[in-house]
Amino acid sequence: MLPILVVVPLLAAAVLALLLRNNPEPVKYIALLASLASLAIVAYITVYNPSATASFDWFNLGSYQFIVSVSTASTYQLLLLIIVAIITPLIFLYSIGFMDVPSEQPRYYFEMCVFAASMMLFAMSTSLITLLIAWEMLGITSYLLIGFWYDREHAPTAARKAITTIIIGDVALLLAVVILATAQGGFQYPVAGAGTGVLFLAGILMLIAAFTKSAQFPFHEWLSDAMEGPTPVSAFLHSSTMVKAGVFLVILMLPLFNTTYLLYLILVVGMASVIIGVTNALVSRHIKKILAYSTIEDLGLMLIPLAFGQVYAALALFFVQAFYKALLFMSAGSIIKANKGEEDIFKIFNTGQSKVVFITALIGTLSIAGFFPLSGFFGKYAVGSAVSSNVAVYAILVLAELGTSVYIFRWLFLPMRKNPQHEIGAGANSVPLTMIIPAIVLAVLVLFAAIVFALPHSGVLDALVLQSTNTTEALVVNAVAAAGLIIAYLVYVKGNRFYLSMNNSHIFAALNNNAITNGIYLAICSMFLHVGKIMGMLDSDFDYTTYRLSYNIINSGKLAKPLINGQTNNYVIGFVIGVLVLAAAVLYVVI
Amino acid sequence: MFPFIGAIMLLLFAGLLAAIALPRRSRAVGSLFSAAAMLVAVSALVSSFLSGAVPAPEQYFNYISQFGISFTLQFTPISLALTVMASIVAFVAIYSGNPEKSSEHTATSLLLLFEISAIGLFCSSNLFIFFIFWDVGVITLFFMIYLLGSANRRRAAIKFIIYEIFASSLLLFAILLIYFYTPIHSFDISTIIAGASSIPQHVQILIFALLFIAFLINMPAFPLHLWLPDAHTEASTQGSMVLSGILTKFGGYGMILVFQMLPISSTYSIYIMALATLSAIYISFVLMSEHDIKRIIAYTTIVEMSIILVGISSANPYGIYGAAYAMLAHGFAISLLFLVAGSVKHTYQERDIRSLRGVVSGSVSSAYSFITGIFATTGVPLTATFVGDIMIFIGAVTAFSVYGAVSIIAIILIGAFLYYVANKSILSTKEKLPVQEYIGFSQKAGMAILIFFIFLFGMLPFIVTNLFNV
Repeated sequence: MLPILVVVPLLAAAVLALLLRNNPEPVKYIALLASLASLAIVAYITVYNPSATASFDWFNLGSYQFIVSVSTASTYQLLLLIIVAIITPLIFLYSIGFMDVPSEQPRYYFEMCVFAASMMLFAMSTSLITLLIAWEMLGITSYLLIGFWYDREHAPTAARKAITTIIIGDVALLLAVVILATAQGGFQYPVAGAGTGVLFLAGILMLIAAFTKSAQFPFHEWLSDAMEGPTPVSAFLHSSTMVKAGVFLVILMLPLFNTTYLLYLILVVGMASVIIGVTNALVSRHIKKILAYSTIEDLGLMLIPLAFGQVYAALALFFVQAFYKALLFMSAGSIIKANKGEEDIFKIFNTGQSKVVFITALIGTLSIAGFFPLSGFFGKYAVGSAVSSNVAVYAILVLAELGTSVYIFRWLFLPMRKNPQHEIGAGANSVPLTMIIPAIVLAVLVLFAAIVFALPHSGVLDALVLQSTNTTEALVVNAVAAAGLIIAYLVYVKGNRFYLSMNNSHIFAALNNNAITNGIYLAICSMFLHVGKIMGMLDSDFDYTTYRLSYNIINSGKLAKPLINGQTNNYVIGFVIGVLVLAAAVLYVVI
Repeated sequence: MFPFIGAIMLLLFAGLLAAIALPRRSRAVGSLFSAAAMLVAVSALVSSFLSGAVPAPEQYFNYISQFGISFTLQFTPISLALTVMASIVAFVAIYSGNPEKSSEHTATSLLLLFEISAIGLFCSSNLFIFFIFWDVGVITLFFMIYLLGSANRRRAAIKFIIYEIFASSLLLFAILLIYFYTPIHSFDISTIIAGASSIPQHVQILIFALLFIAFLINMPAFPLHLWLPDAHTEASTQGSMVLSGILTKFGGYGMILVFQMLPISSTYSIYIMALATLSAIYISFVLMSEHDIKRIIAYTTIVEMSIILVGISSANPYGIYGAAYAMLAHGFAISLLFLVAGSVKHTYQERDIRSLRGVVSGSVSSAYSFITGIFATTGVPLTATFVGDIMIFIGAVTAFSVYGAVSIIAIILIGAFLYYVANKSILSTKEKLPVQEYIGFSQKAGMAILIFFIFLFGMLPFIVTNLFNV
């Protein structure tokens, strides 16, 4: 029963949050305590009982047993569980400072607790039914959280965009589960992928589901709009929950994708997402959207080694990305808070004044750029060495890493600019302690998380292995990161800081391709609405036709009217004709 | 054995008499009696769950014994589920479906009569009383629309009754054919199931065609759905709730009976599946061209019932029991949506999504209930619809390979459109409308009850599914 206990505190906290609607003061502490309790249980499981399982029969229908079962026996799954369990209390602590309006706290913590609980359930699930439940719960709670501030102008639209994309994935996963269940006669995970027939279709549907959740091409645009949600939600969503679920689904279902075409699909989508992420991040001006595009790139980078069958490389990046991305978002949130809600990096100044915020942000940027010995380096190195056999892919990855380094230092340098007229940056010192502490903890994790790669392999650490040590490739990662740092410094500090951000040149248009994607989405939606209009007209025509038809049938009675005009002689003639016809008929039969 | 159905019928009948006798207290009296009936229905479900089998049939009197017509009421697992749903939905409709408090006397009496007929129909053990309850239910709802609807109610009511009476005449013809062609002349359903295979092939085809058209009209699905949007738009909130929540299940339940009774039906299942799939996808496009929130919800009924028809057409236990469970779930979900639509209309005097804005700022409970209703309609896990949907699609994929699951696209389409409506009218607070009148406690309580049961049957489906013997 141990794994189920992990989600119990969070669900209890969610219920309490609803009950304490009118008295919101203790809700945030309850949520924090619940997340710490979950962390403690996860720690206990990891140390003393790493292969705990729990399952219960939900209901049975003939040969189909709908079993909700969870387990931490797989080291991958335990790893994801640990990541979520570590990040959750930090996010909740950060939220205490960030979400400072008491009236909205119960709803916020209710949704966050359910969100965290569903991600933990997802991490531990060992049957397709559990997977599906956790997956869709993640989807709807993220809808509620992205649209949390529904009274802001863009929040409901952003939430709708997210849920419209997510529902495609949810239904695709439902269908994939149904197909797998009927093919296997049960809801266990597929072990061997015969990549033909219906299983091929199930594989494609699983991939669609994974791409929608992980915001991969062509379903990527919802993620940048999801920035309308509160910053702690973004930090949570991008680091350990939600978007990670998609990549993790690919890892879990890897036997199913063991055919060339599906692996190609994963590779192509991963590459496209990397390119889209980097190009948009280079030109975006929104402090959180840059990070969002960066997440799209990171997730693409995790998919690429999976296409080569290199699960360990993907997991290495999976592990380190959680910490640096949460840290970067927390820094962004602190900067926004210090600047009274300003989110444009060209209108934010003097962030260097608050030393703590600046140093934690610097650690995050150095890590994502890939400087040794920060943990981000090991993720980038693992991905690079996994694909180095394929020169074309490797070359694109190196370019993408150069771009990463440039945009992330642009993200750091631009808000740092000194501007004595601008006093609002001085608010940086008013960032509450509850927002500083989790950032410091994460910074420490980012600095030292790489130690796990050096520890002896046992238990969960089995999942975290660097397959090879190649000095040249390690040097390439560092050199590229340094080159990006230098370019960013020369362009955005010494040179024209508006470079690639303001002009409407073709290069800008090509880089800023989210407008194109949004246009395509809009075109598809309006196409559907148009088809709907046509169908609606068809339906009302159909309605009118049936109406006319019945009207005419009723009116056809009028045709007989001239016969009944009250003239007796007509009736007599009719009677005589009738008698004659009858007599003729009788005669014909008799003779 | 406690006679559950008899108790339910007696309570409802007493409630009907009391509601007629006490015009000023009719809603209170009606709510009281239907709540009692609801409790009896739920306890019947609980006791069946505990004992693992449905209660024994309850025979009251032999009506015309030489034709095998007796007033016998019985639960099958499917009818038990539908009875519980009908009693809950009817209670909520009586208790909270009328925020304007207009014509409470007429509305309550008609709703109680309809509830009697619905439960009688689901529990009837022979086709004769099935037919009687069918007609009583249809005619009651005709008056519900004709007397209590909005401006164009008369036309909609006439359209409704023409379709439904046509259906019931086909039904009567088919029932008589079945009676004459079964070896032991009988109206008793279990006797027919046992002896139907000896009906000659061509007669079976005729009977099947008649019953199929009759139930297709009632469900409704694509070519015969035209009465439904008008009837729902013009009916009062209470009328829409029971019309969509309960009346459409008459057709679904009948369709399940057809597939159980006539062995020939499974030869046509592929065509029925194709028709139902077409219907689901076509209607989910049609609803995108609508602006009236009630009409949109009405069209989602057709989509859901088409998906249920896909499940029935698969003709295997997964599909059929899935369809039954989905009907149970759909009853709660759709009546919740109609209750919200009625409350919104009461709050803002507006139903057009082009001008309706910011419901969440004026009526938080309506807004959240609407979003919960979307979750329940699109089959998010832990809502009852999820259980029904997954069973339906397992059945359909088993029967028709992946082609059986094409109608799943309709879920994406209606989901996307309903979230669009939620974004535009419910959540977006730009240019929000002024509140005319707040909804009362009873509306909120009604929504809460429906949401409670949506999640109850979503989280504990084994209460019902354990009774299904697959």
